[in-house]
Amino acid sequence: MNTPQTKSTASIAVGGAKSAGRWMLQGGTVVALVLLIIFFFAMRPDVFLSFTNVRNILYQVSILAIIAGAQTIVMVVGDFDLSVGATSALAGAVAAAMMIGGTPIPIAIIVALLVGLVIGLVNGVLIAYLKLSAFVATLATMTSVVGLAFLVTNGTTLFNMPEAFNQLGQGRMMDIPIPVFIAIIISLILWFILRFTTIGRRWYATGGSAEVSRLSGINIKRARLIAFTAAGLISALGGIILAARLGSASAVQGEDNMMFSVAAVFLGMTVIRSGAANLGGTMVGVAIIGVMSNGLNILGVNAYVQQVVTGLIIIAAVTLSSLRHKER
Amino acid sequence: MTAAVDLSTTSTVTPALEARGIVKRFDGVLALNEAEFAVRPGEIHALLGENGAGKSTLIKVLTGIYEPDAGVIRRDGEEVEFANVRVANRAGIVALYQELSIIPSLSVAENIMLGEQTPRRFGIVEWQRLRKGAKAQLDSIHQRIPLGKLASELSPVQQTMVAFARALATDAKVLILDEPTASLTDTEITELFAVLRSLRARGVAIVYVSHRLEEVFQLCDRLTIMRNGETILTKDVADSHIDEVISTMVGRSASDLYPERGTTAKDQVVLEVSDLTGRRVKDVSFSVKAGEVLGIGGLAGSGRSELLRLIAGAQARSGGEIMVAGEHLRKRAGVGRTLDAGLGLVPEERRSQGVILGTSIQDNIVIANLGAVSTAGIVSGHRIVDITRKAMQSLQIKARGPRQHVGELSGGNQQKVVLAKMLARNPKVLLMDEPTRGIDVGTKAEIYRLIRELAATGTAIVAVSSELPELIGMSDRILIMHEGRISGEVDAAIADEELLLSYCYGKSE
Repeated sequence: MNTPQTKSTASIAVGGAKSAGRWMLQGGTVVALVLLIIFFFAMRPDVFLSFTNVRNILYQVSILAIIAGAQTIVMVVGDFDLSVGATSALAGAVAAAMMIGGTPIPIAIIVALLVGLVIGLVNGVLIAYLKLSAFVATLATMTSVVGLAFLVTNGTTLFNMPEAFNQLGQGRMMDIPIPVFIAIIISLILWFILRFTTIGRRWYATGGSAEVSRLSGINIKRARLIAFTAAGLISALGGIILAARLGSASAVQGEDNMMFSVAAVFLGMTVIRSGAANLGGTMVGVAIIGVMSNGLNILGVNAYVQQVVTGLIIIAAVTLSSLRHKER
Repeated sequence: MTAAVDLSTTSTVTPALEARGIVKRFDGVLALNEAEFAVRPGEIHALLGENGAGKSTLIKVLTGIYEPDAGVIRRDGEEVEFANVRVANRAGIVALYQELSIIPSLSVAENIMLGEQTPRRFGIVEWQRLRKGAKAQLDSIHQRIPLGKLASELSPVQQTMVAFARALATDAKVLILDEPTASLTDTEITELFAVLRSLRARGVAIVYVSHRLEEVFQLCDRLTIMRNGETILTKDVADSHIDEVISTMVGRSASDLYPERGTTAKDQVVLEVSDLTGRRVKDVSFSVKAGEVLGIGGLAGSGRSELLRLIAGAQARSGGEIMVAGEHLRKRAGVGRTLDAGLGLVPEERRSQGVILGTSIQDNIVIANLGAVSTAGIVSGHRIVDITRKAMQSLQIKARGPRQHVGELSGGNQQKVVLAKMLARNPKVLLMDEPTRGIDVGTKAEIYRLIRELAATGTAIVAVSSELPELIGMSDRILIMHEGRISGEVDAAIADEELLLSYCYGKSE
């Protein structure tokens, strides 16, 4: 009488080989990145893939990578956070103002990180417990936080921070800029958390279906609160590194990072089959944005045109992935 | 009896819609194998079969969603090809699905006269004519629904009626209904049937897809049974017997649908509910013993589902006490707490409450078992695969592997995933709301057997069901609710539907 059981398990092993066309759609975004690299390399083989330029690209996207990591967490939970850019600007401004006022570097950094954490906590409470929509809540906090950043900076650009602090953004290790290392470390940590920890699984479950998760015993309010808090903290870190890299802090710096972080996560969502936000995909998205902007720069294309093209690329990638979903 | 088999439609009436030799393959897998189907004008024709038998595929071919690989479709005897849904609609074929395609934010009148039906002049909507047209359609099915009301404010049956009215507004000659009674109460079902009969009298051909065989025997004129993508038989309902229909659908006898009732109930009480009160539920008290299967019935709106949700902590109670295995559940305990106390919950709506469709089987199972697969907050991939494989094997979940997406599984297998998620926690009390809704007969039998096996190992089961035969077949003891209170308690061994129904309508013991 054992035969039916063995039979049913044996049939599990049958998998389907994917057709090349489907693979193209599935890997569309990655393919796009590779094509971009090939294109720019073909246009300027002398410059584009040189060590200096690759290092340059990595340096340029390192802050975006950190903030896009923060955005990924929130989008895994099924929300999004418009305030990441503003939070990073305020954190940079707070750190800068404190250091200029004589506060020791570590304390200034810790306070700035706490500022980000509190903003994230506020977002989380508003959204998870007071049930505001993520759009409204983070739009409101973004507005207030930008205002706070203007207050902290008095509407000016703060500079003359300690050299040791600026090294954090401008220094190099093994000829590679320090922000690149920081971005890589943060990304690895976030990847690990999302993939291998219980909170990561709770985030994915909540984003997949909040009601199913709740009825499976997951405290979805707490999961969302933690996600927003983490996003605030990481955004603050990004802002601090940005201030160090620029050697200055202003209320509007890193404004682009909010929009580009959402774009990077969207691009990344097209990389995997389930269409969920994921860190690896986000980094592919960050790379596309970085390569685009650097490559177009090298070709001497005007910055405004770059912005237009970036939007088009996002539309193309998301269209491809929705075609894929239709096919299924 | 076999003389009634009527695959070739020997009748002289030209079918309103006819499918001959339909073949449809997906990735080389045969979904329809020369399927045959014909519905005459002025008849209600049941299309029956287990999940995966090919009913949905056939309907999609008939309504232009899928293009058949081979075969012919004839509308009033003329060969047709439906390039898409709109073409099929224009030919008078309309399908109404479980999730009705009405627009919640529009008024009743706008819903009825949607799209091409909207009267307009120079692109400007003529509201007067729109209302008049909508009213005419509602009148024709004897419905009095305020035209200005938003569709979201309507009861499920009213929404169904609005969908009918819209179908009639598009001059539908063939109506295809997929489980139209799933969310309706018994009185509403009676009303629906009256409307369907009046449509039949007007010559509309109605295709009726349902898992509820009692309804088919009440309502339909003929039935067609599909199995494995083939049409097995078509015959008059009057010449059919329910057992024969079931055995034809599953390819085996119906008598073993419900397993034998065991005497597994032990003395130890594992769930005790006293004076439990919620929104509808009022002062409900009962207890369940280890190894006992308690069925809970009642009409929709009687509070039967809310009772389960209150116990599970899915909804906050306003009063009363709950004890699980001697432990008090605090009033504000959420589902996480109640699960930890030893409860398990299989919710009513599988697709919105039970499974996350876009993720894999293992990701679904793990979310209720994070503690078991992790150490110090770090999950082990091995352990996830282990518990998933074990669950898939013990529940016979038919899938390619732990990573297959749940959305790709049949309803029955999805329900098994929900069960697996909870059973991996070894609950002392398993709460199940409509354990077999919308799943095929074969899987139903498996779930009844599983309930018995769990009871034999000492698990207490509390199962809510809207189907009286199911309550009687699977339970040891049955509680019936009426207007938030328990109106009757019966030993399942001596229960009959008549008695249960009288309790459902509030006749007390």
